[in-house]
Amino acid sequence: MASPDRIHPFLNRRAFLSQSATALSGMALAQLLGRDGLLAAGPAGVSPIRPEINPANPNAVRKPHFAPRAKQVLMIFSAGGCSHLDTFDYKPELIRRHGQPMPGGDKLVTFQGAQGALNRSPWEFRPRGKSGKMVSDLVPLLGGLADEMCFIHSLTGKTNTHGPGENFMNTGFTLDGFPSIGAWTTYALGSANDDLPAFVAIPDPRGVPQSAGNCWNPGFLPAAFQGTDFNAAKPIRNLARPGGISPEKDRATREFIARINRHHLEKFPGDTELAARISSYELAARMQLSVPDVGDISTEPAHILRMYGADSTGDRTQEIKAGYARNCILARRLIEKGVRFVQLFNGAYQVGGEGTSNWDGHKVLKDQYTVHGEVLDQPTAALLTDLKQRGLLADTLVVWCTEFGRMPTFQAGASGRDHNPAGFTAWLAGAGVKAPFSYGATDDFGYKAVEKVVSVYDFHATILQILGLDHQRLSFYHNGIERRLTDVHGEPLSEVLA
Amino acid sequence: MSGHHRIRAGVLGIWVVDWAARLLWVAGLLQAANGASVPDSARMPVAAARSVDFVRDIRPIFQVHCVSCHGPDRQRGGLRLDDRESALKGGENHAPAIHPLKSAESPLIHFVAGLVPELKMPRKGDPLSDEQVGLLRAWIDQGAIWPAESPVPKTVHWAFKPVVRPPVPVGSDGGADNPIDALVGVRLAEKGLTFAPPAERGAFIRRLYLVMHGLPPTPDEVAEFVRDLRPEAVELLVDRVLASPRYGERWGRHWLDIARYADSNGFETNRERKNAYPYRDYVIRSLNEDKPYDQFIREQLAGDALGADAGTGFLVAGAYDIVKSPDPNLTLMQRQDELADIVNTTGTAFLGLTLGCARCHDHKFDPISQVDFYAVQAVFGGVNFAERKLPRKMSAAETNELRALEATLSSQETALAGLKDKAGAQRDGVSAAKRLPPVNARSNEESFPPVTATAVRFHILATTGGEPGLDELEVYDAAGTNVALASAGTKPTASGTLAGYAIHKLEHLNDGLPGNNRSWISDTAGRGWVKLEFAGPRQIQRLVWGRDRDGGFKDRVATEYRIEAESAPGQWLEIASSAGREPVTADPNAYLKHLSEGDAKVARSLQDQIRQTKAQMEKLAGGQPAWVGTFSQPKPTHRLYRGDPMQEREMVAPGSVAALGSLGLSVDEPEQRRRVRLAEWIASPTNPLTARVMVNRIWHYVFGIGLVDTPSDFGANGTTPTNPALLDWLADEFVRGGWSIKQLQKRILLSRTFGQSAAPRPDGMAVDADARLLWRFPPRRLEAEAIRDCVLAVSGALDLRMHGPGFYLQRVEDDNVNRYFPKETFGTNEFRRMVYLSRIRQEQDSVFGAFDCPSGNQVMPRRSRSNTPLQALNLFNSNFVLQQADLIAGRLLREAGADPASQGARAFELMYGRAPDRFESAESLAMIRDQGLPAFCRALYNTSEFLFVF
Repeated sequence: MASPDRIHPFLNRRAFLSQSATALSGMALAQLLGRDGLLAAGPAGVSPIRPEINPANPNAVRKPHFAPRAKQVLMIFSAGGCSHLDTFDYKPELIRRHGQPMPGGDKLVTFQGAQGALNRSPWEFRPRGKSGKMVSDLVPLLGGLADEMCFIHSLTGKTNTHGPGENFMNTGFTLDGFPSIGAWTTYALGSANDDLPAFVAIPDPRGVPQSAGNCWNPGFLPAAFQGTDFNAAKPIRNLARPGGISPEKDRATREFIARINRHHLEKFPGDTELAARISSYELAARMQLSVPDVGDISTEPAHILRMYGADSTGDRTQEIKAGYARNCILARRLIEKGVRFVQLFNGAYQVGGEGTSNWDGHKVLKDQYTVHGEVLDQPTAALLTDLKQRGLLADTLVVWCTEFGRMPTFQAGASGRDHNPAGFTAWLAGAGVKAPFSYGATDDFGYKAVEKVVSVYDFHATILQILGLDHQRLSFYHNGIERRLTDVHGEPLSEVLA
Repeated sequence: MSGHHRIRAGVLGIWVVDWAARLLWVAGLLQAANGASVPDSARMPVAAARSVDFVRDIRPIFQVHCVSCHGPDRQRGGLRLDDRESALKGGENHAPAIHPLKSAESPLIHFVAGLVPELKMPRKGDPLSDEQVGLLRAWIDQGAIWPAESPVPKTVHWAFKPVVRPPVPVGSDGGADNPIDALVGVRLAEKGLTFAPPAERGAFIRRLYLVMHGLPPTPDEVAEFVRDLRPEAVELLVDRVLASPRYGERWGRHWLDIARYADSNGFETNRERKNAYPYRDYVIRSLNEDKPYDQFIREQLAGDALGADAGTGFLVAGAYDIVKSPDPNLTLMQRQDELADIVNTTGTAFLGLTLGCARCHDHKFDPISQVDFYAVQAVFGGVNFAERKLPRKMSAAETNELRALEATLSSQETALAGLKDKAGAQRDGVSAAKRLPPVNARSNEESFPPVTATAVRFHILATTGGEPGLDELEVYDAAGTNVALASAGTKPTASGTLAGYAIHKLEHLNDGLPGNNRSWISDTAGRGWVKLEFAGPRQIQRLVWGRDRDGGFKDRVATEYRIEAESAPGQWLEIASSAGREPVTADPNAYLKHLSEGDAKVARSLQDQIRQTKAQMEKLAGGQPAWVGTFSQPKPTHRLYRGDPMQEREMVAPGSVAALGSLGLSVDEPEQRRRVRLAEWIASPTNPLTARVMVNRIWHYVFGIGLVDTPSDFGANGTTPTNPALLDWLADEFVRGGWSIKQLQKRILLSRTFGQSAAPRPDGMAVDADARLLWRFPPRRLEAEAIRDCVLAVSGALDLRMHGPGFYLQRVEDDNVNRYFPKETFGTNEFRRMVYLSRIRQEQDSVFGAFDCPSGNQVMPRRSRSNTPLQALNLFNSNFVLQQADLIAGRLLREAGADPASQGARAFELMYGRAPDRFESAESLAMIRDQGLPAFCRALYNTSEFLFVF
């Protein structure tokens, strides 16, 4: 049963205040703004644990449910459905049977229709690292880091269209309108950095992903937990002091607002909603200083820029690669500063035709993936390497994923692969996971997950588990239902945990 | 806790296991039936040799090892082991799991003894000990005695009991002159609290306007009210506020939150839904007219039957995935999601019931079975997400003209029918006017709304005989150019081509040469498809096809077909199909042959006249297209095992929640009648939920929080009302008052409860900090729309044009998938009230979206009220607010002159509805003098007092 007084996290804002700062004599806001390590207490069992949110500082650090393996998350999302068969899922049988029909494939109707023959990847697979993990030549530098990775080869989705698929991987639901995984995480845990947003989404240089803001929106969670989207090329909207207003005038205006607001608050002593309003302006002012600072990658040394490929020049591909590389550097800087959840996008919504701006290689896979591999490989590998060399992987979980995989066949009459949610690959790295490690498997051709099948729910439950959160208990009441990231499913994959 | 799940079979491995286990079990049963032993009973622990007591020996085993998966919280496999009835009934696949007296044959024992490898129980934790299994066996062998639990019947949940008008105490705090105050006063007294003193008149009128209009009163309105000391002044003011059109705009927006309304389709393509606004306008008008709420309900569910067509926009206001695929699983799941959205929204909006929970299983808390869910789904099974033309509102003259045309048509049709009788060929030809004519062998035309496509494909599913044939497929753009021609770079492909004929080749399909001698014929009897891929995207709107334009052949004509356009790679939109045509029958003009030459001439002439009359009528009556759904007779609805559309179970007739009433409908009930009946049942005065839910919503929007603070869940999982007597009094009063929303609001607004001060007091803060019992008026931050509207109102920029197509705050880029980019400059078009904003799913307005503005993807019965740094940045730095600050600065100059003190005072009047105090005067004066008027105005826009209602 829902307990009436705890259904809404902000419902008790006044009660919160009267408990935690009964003697809020005038303006004891400073204490309120402190990092209240609020206890996430709750009854045993599967009853919900609703984080107690201080309205004046909704992103204050909150304790997880149990000891976490990682404190921060960097989630890299390759939009468009990145083929496992051309990257990380090595299938010798597919090479052997190249050009033959897939058994049962003639009856199979996938997203765009009928199947052609089985097709081996245009890229060779080679053993990588000490583990000898087979990774393709499309992503050789990432392959070189295979020893750092925990591959999940048996991931399954439940939709074969992009929008619902991206929703599913980012929000746990195929439908629009549910909170993103980053919003859930910051709702649960707050953030260690008071001066930066707790959850940052970094869109690809080519644009937002196909599910756009769904990937970082708060859904029905309070707006305080929405992801702030910006990248190395495009700053936060409305962050900068407007042109034509001098710094002095800006400061004077801000101070005037504070004086008027505090004067007004005297008539409503103890009202936390009003106090929260005031503190939101103080947080905004701190963000105005800290965000441009963290976003300024011009201070990075030349060897770092080179390592990421941020100095790439030449054709359009190299320009995109340089843009993505700068986003990767930004991601590292945000992790460095303690941002709780960083979501980095590789690939955008469809522009310039199918498969051009993302991994949706239906018709001309080889040409398109040559570009996408070039963009993804070096910067992402550098990011992982850089996080490691700075010791940041000790507390950071890195996740690479996509909305679904692709078919082992080429489409009838085309040279590319159709969508395939029945089996695909993601990898984890960094804090909390076993590496090198490979979990689960698809069948001989890489069509269906057959061994240790993993649902997206399980995948999300695992990420929460690593963060010290019980996916069954992290919930939010909305429209009659105690909602979870994992709906009513999911089981953490205990085998992948370190 | 509850939640709901949508499982898609085939891709989740667990299903494979489940089915495998099921087959295995069936095999086991067959074995048993053949007299062979049940799963290796030798491996079964022996039954305990003592008398077993359920409560002492058995229940603890269930509670410790089983109930977490087979109990109140979840029922894996549909099995519950926490109450007698359910346990003995068994789960979905292995029922019954307990065969009394026969433990060796009871699946429960096989599972806990680990005899079925895929179903070793318990799944988690340690297996049962041999001793425990032995106890279970003994219990079953001794008859599986499970003492009946407490004989007290389950109590009926409060919200399902009839509304009973409570007695209103006299002489309590609040007095009897307003029962609302009397009933609020009772609860306050119980806690030792009292009402706050009345708010000051200036504060009162500001609160009233913000709550009821979402706009501030003008300084003149404030001054006039403050001066007006007549006893009836408040009532007159409330009447005026309720009569203003601003009221419907404010309260309409509340209802649109519940209807999950937005102006784009959502999902990845997120196309604009340019004709959604008639429903938005319908809602605003309904509220302004004070349409009785029961009528408002009926019209939103079945307005097509009630002369209120725009109302059914409610049904289809949610997100809609236009990305279709040949994959049948996907298509079924998409449709199931659409219907579930309608069912869920209807349940929460009108009944405060989470019907959606029962999509996969019986509701865990409320008396809603899975069958109930599909019964309600069957009511909506014929609702399609599409536009429909609204009947046009006609002038009196036009109405007369239409009546005259109807009379003319009637006489023309009568005359023609007479001739047909005479020809002995009386047929039901007249109704054919509703559909396109049947296909013919020569040439068929298909028109459709313009669509940009890179390809078109034509699926043929049946023919007049033989392999399908097409002599030419022509596709036209708006300019009338045939873009299908090979000479235009278009490439044809096909499922196959009849081999061995020089005259039947694929390239004949678009060679510009009609006739059988230059035609394509499929290689498969009765079926086939062709596809034309254009050289690039083409905007197309008409298509012509035929079997043989020379008229020689009438075989091979497609009779069942579907034509689709590829609007984005892999995204096929149906643009035409045989469903829109009359079925192929004999030549409808055959009767003419049986008439004399003269009669035939008259008949032909009559046919022409009828066509013309209909065209005139269509022109006169035909209205605007609106996104309000279309309706068609649905196929029977089935219950879906675990909500999976691939696993249909028994047929379900349209109905309501059985525990609360029945609609008495049959499986094949006509479509519209289903919705009419459900609407009548919901909008009935005896429905215990409908009135309670609505009065609580009204209370919620007036006070910021409802008497029940889960406004869309009145079930057992929701919260109980803080004041049940008041809720019932309001509900009863509402129905007695003819479901008049305004009348009820007037009583609330005239109450002492509403009119009291918002100032906090220590006694109240100590006992009831959130003021749920209403010892003061609880202050709150305004919603996104009200803030934006207030900003515009006080600057003088607000444009009060009502209704019609919405305005945009984003630039639209249409590249297969739509993208939206925030505007940075604004003019009067953007200065309308925000309820008229074209609201784009997934893309909030860049300034006000951050104020917990709902996306329209899910029902939003109660908005959060965050205060975030992004909100602060948007209000402080956005071009929009800076522009408004300049505008209000100009207004202050005009209205207050050059004196900074007067400017400051005027600003306070406009923005706060009051004069500044001494501190504020001094601060304002200094600010204006040192930083200028625009900076001062920018600041006031960012102050709490401007952004909150007190």
